[in-house]
Formats: sequence, C-alpha cells, structure tokens
Amino acid sequence: MSEDDFSVPEAEEAGEGTLALPLPRENPELIGHEAAEAAFLAAYNARRLPHAWLVAGPAGVGKASFAFRAARFLLAQQEAGGLLGDMAPPTALTIAPDHPAFRLVASGAHPDLLVVERGWDEKRKRLRSEIVVDDARATAAFLHLTPSQGAWRVVIVDGADDMNRNAANALLKVLEEPPKRAVLFLTSESPGRLLPTIRSRCRILYMNGLPQDTVVAAIRRYMPGFGADDAATLAQLAGGSIGRARSLAAQDGLAVQHGLFDLLGGLPKLPGESLHAFAEKLVRGEGSGFRLLADLLPRAVAATAMLGLGREPAASPSERVILARLAAHRSPAHWVELWRRIGQLFAAADGIELDRKAVVLDAFFALEDAVR
Amino acid sequence: MKLTIERAALLKALGHVQSVVERRNTIPILSNVLLRGADGKLALSATDMDIEMISAVPAQGAKTGGTTVPAHTLYDITRKLPEGAQVLLELGSDKGQMTLRSGRSTFTLACLPAEDYPVMSGSDLAHNFTISAADLKRLIDRTRFAISTEETRYYLNGIYLHAAKSNDVNMLRAVATDGHRLARMELPLPDGAAGMPGVIVPRKAVGELRKLLDEFDQDVAVSLSDTKIRFAFGDSTVLTSKLIDGTFPDYDRVIPTGNDKVLEVECKSFAAAVDRVSTISSEKSRAVKLAIERNSLTLSATSPENGTASEEIEVRYSASPIEIGFNSRYLLDITEQIEGEGAKFVMADAASPTLVRDATDGSALYVLMPMRV
Repeated sequence: MSEDDFSVPEAEEAGEGTLALPLPRENPELIGHEAAEAAFLAAYNARRLPHAWLVAGPAGVGKASFAFRAARFLLAQQEAGGLLGDMAPPTALTIAPDHPAFRLVASGAHPDLLVVERGWDEKRKRLRSEIVVDDARATAAFLHLTPSQGAWRVVIVDGADDMNRNAANALLKVLEEPPKRAVLFLTSESPGRLLPTIRSRCRILYMNGLPQDTVVAAIRRYMPGFGADDAATLAQLAGGSIGRARSLAAQDGLAVQHGLFDLLGGLPKLPGESLHAFAEKLVRGEGSGFRLLADLLPRAVAATAMLGLGREPAASPSERVILARLAAHRSPAHWVELWRRIGQLFAAADGIELDRKAVVLDAFFALEDAVR
Repeated sequence: MKLTIERAALLKALGHVQSVVERRNTIPILSNVLLRGADGKLALSATDMDIEMISAVPAQGAKTGGTTVPAHTLYDITRKLPEGAQVLLELGSDKGQMTLRSGRSTFTLACLPAEDYPVMSGSDLAHNFTISAADLKRLIDRTRFAISTEETRYYLNGIYLHAAKSNDVNMLRAVATDGHRLARMELPLPDGAAGMPGVIVPRKAVGELRKLLDEFDQDVAVSLSDTKIRFAFGDSTVLTSKLIDGTFPDYDRVIPTGNDKVLEVECKSFAAAVDRVSTISSEKSRAVKLAIERNSLTLSATSPENGTASEEIEVRYSASPIEIGFNSRYLLDITEQIEGEGAKFVMADAASPTLVRDATDGSALYVLMPMRV
C-alpha cells in the first residue's frame, strides 16, 4: 500500500542494536514513580479527583506513560464516583493489555480520550514546532460532548511546554470551567515556564529522574545490544531518564562520549587530526551529534569543577581519572567559568547560527588553554 | 470470516457508513470500517468517535469473525465492480489481510484488529420509543435551520429534544436557536418517551440522521440516555451519537405571550417579495423593513452602495400601524418551513421578539428578533 499522506511518524528510528521503547499510549507498565501513582489513587479513592494534573519532570522519565496509565484507569471505570460504594478501592492503576480500554487507547481510537500534541503540518509535511490554538480548541469541543463508553472523559496534553500563547489561553478556558466527569493531564518539562494561571489550576505531580540501577535495568531490557558496562555509562549520561538513554543510544551517544574522553585524556596535547575528524563527524547530517556534544562537554567540565570542590560526579572510573587530572590544573572557579563560556558558545551556535564545526573546535581550544 | 455478499447491498451499506469516516485521519484505524460477520449477516460499522453508523447486509457464509479495513478503499472497490456481482470477503488466517474476490478481480486489503476499533455500547439506553420517519423528518426540518454555529455557545450547537406539556397534553418537542431566532416543533409524545431526559443532539448527528431519513420511510426506533442517542431503522441501519454535554437555555422565556399585532400574509408571495427586495440590502446586514398599515405591507430595503427597493403586498392586518425590520435570510428560512398557504406574524413593537406560525398548523412555532432599521 502506498504511504498515507497524513500519517504522522510515530517516533524517530531507533539505532542499531536497540529496540524501540513502547510508546506511552501502549506501554502497559510504568517504571518507578510509585509515589505519583499513589498520590493519584489516593485522590481517586477519596472521591476528590482534581480535574487537572500537571505531570512535571525531565524528558523521558515516564510523564506521558503515567498520564496514559492514569487515563486508561479512569476510562476503564464504568461509574464516576462509584455507585458501588462497598467495592474495594483500587490499589493500582494497572489495566491489563487485553482490556478493551487498553486496546482502544493504544490504537488511538478511544472515543473518550483526546490527546493534544504537536500537530502535523500538511503544507510543510512535518510536525509543527508548537501546539497551535486549533489543537487546544479541540479540547473544548471534545469536552462539550458526552462520554461514549464509560463515565469519564480524559484529555492528555502531551508536551504542555509546546503550547504557544494562544493555545495556552484556549486551554486555560477549559481549565477555568472544567466540565464534570472530565480529567486533564498536562505533561511538562519546565512547569515554571507555563502560564501561572494554568499552573495554579492544576495539581502538580513531580516525577524525578529514576535511580541509576532502574535505568540500567531498563536499558538491559529494552536495548539488549548493550553490555553491562556500556549500559552503566549510558545510564550515567542519561541522568535518570530512560527516554534519554534511548535517544543517546540511537544517536550513538556512547561513541560521542568515548570520543570526547579520548580527546580530554590527551590534553594538554590536542592532536589536530583527530580533533578535526571528531568535529567533522559531529556536525554531519541533522546535527544530532552536535547537540549531544553541546550537552556532554559542559557536563564533563561541570564534573571537573565538582571534583575540584571535593564532590563526587557521576562518571565511570576511567573517566574519573581523566577528570581528576584536569581538575588539578585549575581552580574550581576557573572550571565553572569555563563551563559557563562553553555553554554560551553552544547556545550561540543555535541562536545566531554560528558554524558548528568552528564552535566545537573553539570549545576544545578553550579547554586546551585551561590546562596549558 | 468468509462471506459472500451482493455488490449492490454492500455498496448501499458502505455508502451509509463511509460518510461518517473522515477523509483526513491521523489515527489509522479511524479510516477503517469494522466488518463483523454473524448469523447470515455482515455488519459494517464506522465512527468518527462522536457518531457511529452501523449498517447490516445479508451475507452467505457461516464463519463468524471481524476485522477492520480502509473504508474509502473498500467503498471505491465495490463501486467499481460490475452491477450484479457477488463479492467474496475472506479474512486471512493471520488476520493481517482480507481478500476480496469478485469475478476475476482479486484484492487484498491491509487489516487492523477489530478489538482496536471503538464501539458505542447501547446497553444503558433506558428510554425507548418509536416514531414515524415522516414525523422525525418534520421535527428536524422545522428546527434544524436555527441551530447555532457559534462554538462559544456550544449548548446551542444542536437540536434540543425533550418531553414537554403543551396545554396539558404531553408533547415531544424539538427546539433550536442561535440567539437571533428560535424554532420549536412539537408532536404528541410517543409511547415510552415519557420521563425521557432532555437531550441536545449535535448538529453533525442531525445531518447524518436527516440523510438516512431520505432513504427510509419505516418507523424509527429511538433509544436514549443522558449521554447517548440511537436511531435504528428496521434491523439494518443504526446511528448512535454522543450528545452535547450542556444545559439548553430556558427557551420558554423568549417566546412572547402578550403580542397583539397580528399580520397574516400569503406565504409564497411574501417570501418571493422578501427575496426580491433583499437583493438591494447590504451583504452584511441583509435587513428589510416592513411597514405595516391596515391591510397593506410595504417591504423596503436601502443600502448606501446599491440603492433602494420597495414592494407593496396585500395582507390582513387591523392593528395600529407599525414599522419593523428583520434579517431577510431569517425570514426566508422560516417561510421555507411553512407548508400551509398563510403565515401569521404576531408582533408587539419594533424591538420585541415576533412570533411566526403557520396559519393552519400549530405544531411549529418560530420566534424572530427584529433588527433596528
């Protein structure tokens, strides 16, 4: 069959040796976040379910997975508030993968669930960069109709940070006058940047990064191509986020990290040939490698500063040796200053479109300067 | 599933259901139609998640089962098959593909599992009654034009169907309004409808229902709850819709009771005159002025760009003279719905709502807000 013009790419391709993580809407389990789940259940069982939940936390920790999980739980309930008062209150949000509500949510066709996310731009044939007002208005239209299956209607705004100003105001209208038997979930990586009027109308659930060994276990499970050591390094880089571990894996994050530490290990000597080859490789294609370095390099510098201050950064033993050697060269204050400068450099590359390769070289020359 | 169906029957059923399938769908399974074979029947079902349309056709074949296939593709294939053809549908053993055979043509269609397709349950529809297709058609036609399209007043985006008492007789009423005009149609309450909740049927469902009513003239079985309404045509076609979750305003308060200036017009010639005169009135306001004196009505319109128009027609009027303005579009919408020869306008003054009725048939009633002219 020919490709449907309107199909939206589900997720970016996973790299070799990695399995795709289940999409949030078809993910039967939530890893970690027992506290968030308990808080939601407690509100439900007390019959005081807030009509809006702001699920806040870093990317890839399971915010959307939680939202879909809670949505399925609500959609599977037949009675709002529960007429059968003598039934034992539910103790988990788990809905079996063969439950009709699970299947419909997974196929995207549950009539009482609306997912608001960045829409597909038909003119440009790509995802829009923000959630536009029409996407948000669909929420009002959806909630103005009665539920079709059970008792609840659920809206998930996946990526509330992506809403532009008009979309946020349109959603605010719904939050201000929530219809009965309706629950909204908003996921956000930076809740502080949302409209305060939206924030104040939601119950906030913070989802922190997952513990290191949880992430390692998830990597071993979903990306069996990684050995124990690589999984540990990946988990360290991912900082408690399974989603980030996956995208690091897909972008060959380990290779970038290894390349980076090879160069750092060689300091104060910076072999021109390998530096240029490294920089060249990073800026090729879409530039995902460049963005990765924009994250990894400042991290390494920050870790150096931490070592200088006597604190223990997250790093593998071999990396720690290299960082400790760097830390001995300069004062922590100097490393902090360097961290700031490199961060600015990378930000400028995106902001004012500096040549990316030059930015990479510049950053390394700054490091070379520091240890000379 | 392995079934043989007549092409004509399949085409008709697909024609019914595919109209609710949206052409542009980001959710793949919603572009599909659900096929379920059982008891010598094939049930086709499609939904846009707000409305569900099911159409059943006779089919030969014993094996039961279900799957979903792209609706528009199946419709196009069936449409292009020769008349009188027999169509064989067979679901592959892995359920990933369905084979369609007819004469020498063979198609395989990609399937998605039936379990992933939404179905609107009808088990909780507690109120049931039967109404003739002609009556249902009248309820819709007399009121539909007044449905509001304004999304901020979402509770006006449909027809309010409810039981009410008119002069101590129980009636089934349909009401629609957009704030400028209101239409109310009533019929004696069918058996079983007593105690039904008042429901607002969304505009889109009204449209789909009206299309079906053109094809069926039997009785329609209506079932409803406070969250859904279902219309069943015989045992073949069923339309189920979500309702608008809101409170319809207390419309009785805007229906005037004390108006005393009665104008009687011959409906057709009045409408034709309004139509002619309104040619001049500006695109935006569409206003026409009615200057009414004893047994005479002068319709006029002025517009700074176009000029002026006026036309005098004979009417029956005996109250004190009055000048009143209306939106010509609204006047025509209403006169279109009046089947009798005469229409009766009952006015109070140039700023108060006017009541319009068929001079001979009291079942429908219209309220129209005047315009300042």
